[in-house]
Amino acid sequence: MTDTTVPEQVDSGRGGAAAVPGAPLAGEPGITVTAASDIEVNRDELDASIGQFVEERAPYYQRSFHRIHESTGLVPRTFNLWAAVAGPFWAAARGVWGMFWTFLILEIIAWVQIGRGLWGNPGASLMERAGTQRARADEFLQRAADATAAGEDPSRFERLAENIGRAADKSLAEAEALSAEATSIMLYGLALLAVFKIVQGLYANRVYEKQYSKWRIDPASVESGFSRRRAGIGAALVAAIAPLTIYKFTVSSPWAVLNEFPEKRLSEAVLGVENETFFTRLATWLEARIDAAAVAGADVFDGVTAGVRSVLDALTLALNGTPWPVVMTVIIVTAWRAAGPRVAIFTTAALAYIALLGYWDVAMETVALVGAAVIICVVIGIPLGIWFGKSRRAYNAAEPVLDLMQTLPAFVYLIPIIAFFGTGNPPGILATIIFGMPPVIRLTALGMRGVPENIKEAATAFGASKRQVLKDVEIPLALPSIMAGVNQTILMCLSMVVIISLIGGGGLGKVILEALQYAAKGPGLLGGFAILFCAMVIDRIVQGAFRGDGAR
Amino acid sequence: MTEAVVTLSNVWKIFGDRADEAMAAVRAEGLTKPQVLERFGCVVGVQDASFEVPRGEIFCIMGLSGSGKSTLVRHVNRLIEPTAGRIEILGRDISAMKERELRQVRAQQIGMVFQHMALMPHRSVRDNVAYPLEIRDVPKSKRWAVSDHVLGLVDLTGYEDRLPKELSGGMQQRVGIARALASDPEILLMDEPFSALDPLIRLQLQDQFKALVAQLKKTTLFITHDLDEAIRIGHRIAIMKDGVIVQIGTAEEIVMNPADDYVREFVQGISKLKLVKAHSIMGPLDAAPGPLGDAPRADEDADLDHLIDLSADTASPVVITRGGADVGFVDKTRLLRGIQGGRQ
Repeated sequence: MTDTTVPEQVDSGRGGAAAVPGAPLAGEPGITVTAASDIEVNRDELDASIGQFVEERAPYYQRSFHRIHESTGLVPRTFNLWAAVAGPFWAAARGVWGMFWTFLILEIIAWVQIGRGLWGNPGASLMERAGTQRARADEFLQRAADATAAGEDPSRFERLAENIGRAADKSLAEAEALSAEATSIMLYGLALLAVFKIVQGLYANRVYEKQYSKWRIDPASVESGFSRRRAGIGAALVAAIAPLTIYKFTVSSPWAVLNEFPEKRLSEAVLGVENETFFTRLATWLEARIDAAAVAGADVFDGVTAGVRSVLDALTLALNGTPWPVVMTVIIVTAWRAAGPRVAIFTTAALAYIALLGYWDVAMETVALVGAAVIICVVIGIPLGIWFGKSRRAYNAAEPVLDLMQTLPAFVYLIPIIAFFGTGNPPGILATIIFGMPPVIRLTALGMRGVPENIKEAATAFGASKRQVLKDVEIPLALPSIMAGVNQTILMCLSMVVIISLIGGGGLGKVILEALQYAAKGPGLLGGFAILFCAMVIDRIVQGAFRGDGAR
Repeated sequence: MTEAVVTLSNVWKIFGDRADEAMAAVRAEGLTKPQVLERFGCVVGVQDASFEVPRGEIFCIMGLSGSGKSTLVRHVNRLIEPTAGRIEILGRDISAMKERELRQVRAQQIGMVFQHMALMPHRSVRDNVAYPLEIRDVPKSKRWAVSDHVLGLVDLTGYEDRLPKELSGGMQQRVGIARALASDPEILLMDEPFSALDPLIRLQLQDQFKALVAQLKKTTLFITHDLDEAIRIGHRIAIMKDGVIVQIGTAEEIVMNPADDYVREFVQGISKLKLVKAHSIMGPLDAAPGPLGDAPRADEDADLDHLIDLSADTASPVVITRGGADVGFVDKTRLLRGIQGGRQ
């Protein structure tokens, strides 16, 4: 190896970064390693880029950004006079919308104080009262003078006039005190405004520099430059927001129209009928629609109700028809087999509580209700989940519906359920299903999508049909997720037991509802614990069964 | 010539919604890969691949990731449908098969081993191996007997009732091989079976696999991104680049006569000692210097390693013989050049 190929200057590195003088290959340039402290900042390139970003007043921003880049302290050593003076307008023109909104709101707060001080006249009502009181006092003095002239005793009127005169003086003094306070409110507002302006001036360049850094990463979507159009938008927003807000907060009696949306007048003007609003018209129309649909689909709805009822009846028969010692034994043994001795002991205690307090029948009714809902959820939900797991398009279509089912408050869909299915236990189960089904669908779909592609491919490569892949690979591998979904569904269904008692559902929910109606604290709490124990027993048994910690 | 078990002729695979249009355009105008991507938004996975694999051969397909080798091999059992071309298994056109027939061929004639094992985690080792038989409704007693037998072939006796996750990576891949062998298929497709294993285990499995296949006489398509592995295992090697088969040949042919710079760069680092045979570097006898009466002799199929042993102890060149008759010589220059890869 000859020395000529070694680069002339191999920096040994002052900052401890050792150079690696490896043997440079022929034709390749030598690479030197330089310590961080020796590296020159390429100002020109940076300046060009900053210039491109700010478009106008480039030299100023280049200087400010350099100062920011070099400073390490908390308080920036730059002050943007334009940002301080023009405030939100500057922020809008530069496209710094976060700063625009923050300081628009803060400045409005300051302006409201100033406005209140200037023309709000906080003592106005008291001053007015002082005036009327003074007039009343004068009136009584006059009456006293008349009485004296008529030779009667004026002392009664004099005393009244004196009292009212004193009250008037007091009001006047208070009004003056308030007026004096107005000046201090205004000064306070001015001080606030000044502080906000200074903060804007100080931090504008910092915020703008952050925006510049973002712009470097994504120049297409981060706003840059100085734009008159944006300044216009900012001014329009300020004009729409600031004057009305300041007016409303400073004037003692603003226009009534600002306090309340004039929906009555608007709907009367549009519909042209007195005493009819958009609301009444839409509500009447909807009611008619729903009634019509309920009549038209009566057979379907009755069929659904009958189907649900048959499941419920079977479960009720099993739980309530069978002698209680048998049911209790079966439950406790199930707990033992599925989830182990500790859960079995807990189950025994919970069942003893329920039975001793006379909740046995209602508790079994609750379990039957929840059980029927869960069975229907699982029977419908798992196939749906499998389908959604396989078809992205079907899942995308169903996703908003599932979201709706979970986010819509239960009370909202209780009403149409009553309209279509009436009241009682089967409609209650339907409401429970709406709330309880999404988790099992979602988690089944999730599990199906989580099955590794290569295992499915392997099964196919060995000649498996689609049905065999589903049976031998997809369902077994998705099973933990599906089971988690079933467990979630069970818990969701349990949480509905009180709500469905609102539409005539029975069981422990009804006990709670009655206690609620009469504010009966004792029965309410006892019933609540009964529901809690039911839920805990079911949850423990199911979870234990899925985890497989039973006595096998 | 032995019977070809797998035959691919002019197989193309173009991925994308407009694959057929793109194919037609390629046929008519001879578009290149980037042109197809630009005009149709389609990716060419395999470009005009043709080869035959005779019975009992291990045919390696070597290429870097993205070269289309996995795509190509999935055409053999029609996990991927070709856009154009013909694929024959034992003389039957696989593209023409009905679903049921195809499944039967997959289950009986083709075994496949995957890079990431792809074992079913919820089934025991035995049930994993027996799965191809289960698909064909083979009774359980028979299934279990077969799977115990093939597990014996890959030295996994005693692990039948374990779950796959209880086994090490190398053992899992042996389960994968056993599964591929379970239905006694004619053809084995090996999709980078040893790539995910650590080097020592890989060497072990390569040897074990080679011996096993030689014994069972399976026709094998073996995919790898490792040229060393291809050379160690394959009778013939196809080198793929960007969906095109660049060169097909024995290891020696590829190392000694690379078809282009791409292949040349690849084979550069390969040790030639065991690969290059005397006949490819020997010079003609009449060019030999002086008398060669007591020079050492070696067969023309002797490798460089052997020639170095002979040549190290003597100053004279080594005489190369074919069937006992002298046919050429190898002197030190030729030997050293041979080690370099035949540069003259």
